Amino acid sequence: MSAPAPGAPVIEARQLTRRFGSFTAVDAVSFEVERGEIFGYLGANGAGKSTTIRMLNGLLAPTSGTARVAGHDVAADPDSVKASIGYMSQKFSLYLDLPVMENLLFFGGAYGLFGKALRVRAGELLELTGLAGQDAAITGSLPGGMRQRLALAGAILHRPEVVFLDEPTAGVDPVARRAFWRLIRQLSSGGTTVFVTTHYLDEAEYCRRIGLMVDGRLVALDSPAGLKRTWVPDRVLVARGQGLAGAAAALAGRDGVRSVQPFGAGLHLRVDPARLDEAGVGRILSAAGAREVVVDRAEPSLEDVFLAVVGREARGEAVT
Amino acid sequence: MKGRIRRSLVRIYAMAAKEGRHIVRDPRTLYMSLGMPVLLLFLFGYGVAFDIDRIPLAVVDQDRTESSRALVHALTASRELVSVGELPDPAAVLGAFRQERAVAALVVDEGYERALLAREVVPVQLLVDGADALVANQLLAKADALVRAESQRLASAEVGETTPPVRVKVWTRYNPDGRSAFYMVPGLAAYLLAITAVLLTALTIAGEWERGSMEQLFASPIGRLEIVLGKLLPYLGLGLLEFLLVVAFGMIAFDLPMRGSGFALALLGLVFLLGMLGQGLLVSVIAKNQTVATQAGTMSSLLPSLLLSGMIFPIENMPVVLQHFSRVIPARYLVHGLRGVLLKGNGLDVLWPDLLALAVFALVVIGLATARFQRRLA
Ligand SMILES: Nc1ncnc2c1ncn2[C@@H]1O[C@H](COP(=O)(O)OP(=O)(O)OP(=O)(O)O)[C@@H](O)[C@H]1O
Ligand SMILES: [Mg+2]
Repeated sequence: MSAPAPGAPVIEARQLTRRFGSFTAVDAVSFEVERGEIFGYLGANGAGKSTTIRMLNGLLAPTSGTARVAGHDVAADPDSVKASIGYMSQKFSLYLDLPVMENLLFFGGAYGLFGKALRVRAGELLELTGLAGQDAAITGSLPGGMRQRLALAGAILHRPEVVFLDEPTAGVDPVARRAFWRLIRQLSSGGTTVFVTTHYLDEAEYCRRIGLMVDGRLVALDSPAGLKRTWVPDRVLVARGQGLAGAAAALAGRDGVRSVQPFGAGLHLRVDPARLDEAGVGRILSAAGAREVVVDRAEPSLEDVFLAVVGREARGEAVT
Repeated sequence: MKGRIRRSLVRIYAMAAKEGRHIVRDPRTLYMSLGMPVLLLFLFGYGVAFDIDRIPLAVVDQDRTESSRALVHALTASRELVSVGELPDPAAVLGAFRQERAVAALVVDEGYERALLAREVVPVQLLVDGADALVANQLLAKADALVRAESQRLASAEVGETTPPVRVKVWTRYNPDGRSAFYMVPGLAAYLLAITAVLLTALTIAGEWERGSMEQLFASPIGRLEIVLGKLLPYLGLGLLEFLLVVAFGMIAFDLPMRGSGFALALLGLVFLLGMLGQGLLVSVIAKNQTVATQAGTMSSLLPSLLLSGMIFPIENMPVVLQHFSRVIPARYLVHGLRGVLLKGNGLDVLWPDLLALAVFALVVIGLATARFQRRLA
């Protein structure tokens, strides 16, 4: 065992690249993840998220570049990597015909657990994931949210240092998603490193750091707040009132206005704070016939960041 | 080292236990392995047994003497021909055939006993409905043998015990009644075992690929040989159960004898099953989806086992190329071995070449399946 030195990153990717034929699915990706961190990996369909995870898991050999996970080189020693990680694959895969407990016993056995220790541990995890009492339920009869939690339980039975979760909350209702993320945060506070991919930008806010993938490249990597500062320097304003729809046209093309979008009954706009402020926006709207106008500042969302990043990538501009 | 072996055993056990639970919960698997073979054996078995059993025979006895009645008795003593009654004259025979009341008719002319006593050659007529050629052929052979046996009985009674009875039929040796069921049922059992065993495992690995759980397995420390062995074990148990069930059913329903030892029988079944289950795994590893695996599994086991195992067509009568090809068909060795154990009471001393061939096949396919089994994706 070559345990990583304390404080050393638990996941370390250097110029990690995977090609399928002439197509580059993951292009020279480098990053580090620290112990106990929740690391979010974001990107559109086909961005290369799953391919990155599979290389880190020892499931796919990198075409070039290196990665170390829990102190083991993924290309040279995939077996040691496999023993120290947990994984919930995207097209995930409990045995739906088997009862809940049998699924846990099998995955525990696959990681070498057995006997009383395994049963005790499986019981603990059912408790932790809110599935206590469901031991004998057929897995296929459980609602989606419970299945995802059971899958997570199966991935952490053997107390891995790192868990990889590939879109664990896809297709699950918001309440169940929140319950799932509570579990992820609990794991992380217990010292487990969590590497998670998602499509849902709202839940990415829970991550300590986020990597943004576009077409196989890691184009941004920072905390959610840091990403917002860097990528959305504009001020985000929300205007409410009567007759806004007719007045909105007056804003378009005004000096300092970056974008105007209807947002529910109101307007969502981005302005250059040096040239236009809330009061200025209110005056323009009132002059154009809107009544009872209230303009507030809003926090930029990760969605704003994502749109800004993808927009800049599409225009082919260099990232600064 | 000891720790590693123990961990490996834990993983194999986990895999086998999981697979066992799938089996227990899946009525299709249970039906395919236990219900269907018995059902098919019953249908096929009676299919082949019927054509020599209880063939309706009409009798036109115009002699009406003790000797003529003895002849009728000789023909109908075994259950193969049964008398459905007397007809007044030969002209009525065609009517009986048309109404399908009889498939054969024995016509004994007046003067049969008199001619016998005068030591003349006595012609008796056997009329056969040739509509079903298979039945007709078997019937002719059967009747021929029966009449010959009767004439020998008469001849030796005549001359005393001095003329030794001549053995005419080779097939009477291990199958004195000439019952083709004895010959066919071991073949059928082998055939059914071959196709179901291949299909059983062909579905399991392909199923893991389709479900997406294979990726999950590959991400765990479970090794490919551990997956293969873990999947093999429960199906081996199921297959052995199937094997014993089929043989036991053959004994009950078709009076199949069991002249050899149970150990030799079980060993034969075990080594054969290993090979067929391994073949299923190999198909499954290559196919990666259940539809293709089912087709490939069926094609690779059904036709060769049916045509080249010697179950229906004797291997000695095949073209030389096919004779050579049949050497790589495991069913051939099982059919041969099974007939030996059941009908002749052969022990391991005679059986070992069959066992060896089966063991080599099993090792090769399981080795190939493991080697072809990529534990990485793409
Ligand atoms: N085995 C493979 N062979 C060929 N191409 C592949 C293979 N696996 C992935 N790809 C391609 O690589 C690209 C990245 O795929 P990947 O699954 O990593 O994307 P993703 O970010 O996980 O997308 P999604 O959100 O849809 O899961 C896709 O264009 C995909 O078609
Ligand atoms: Mg993916």
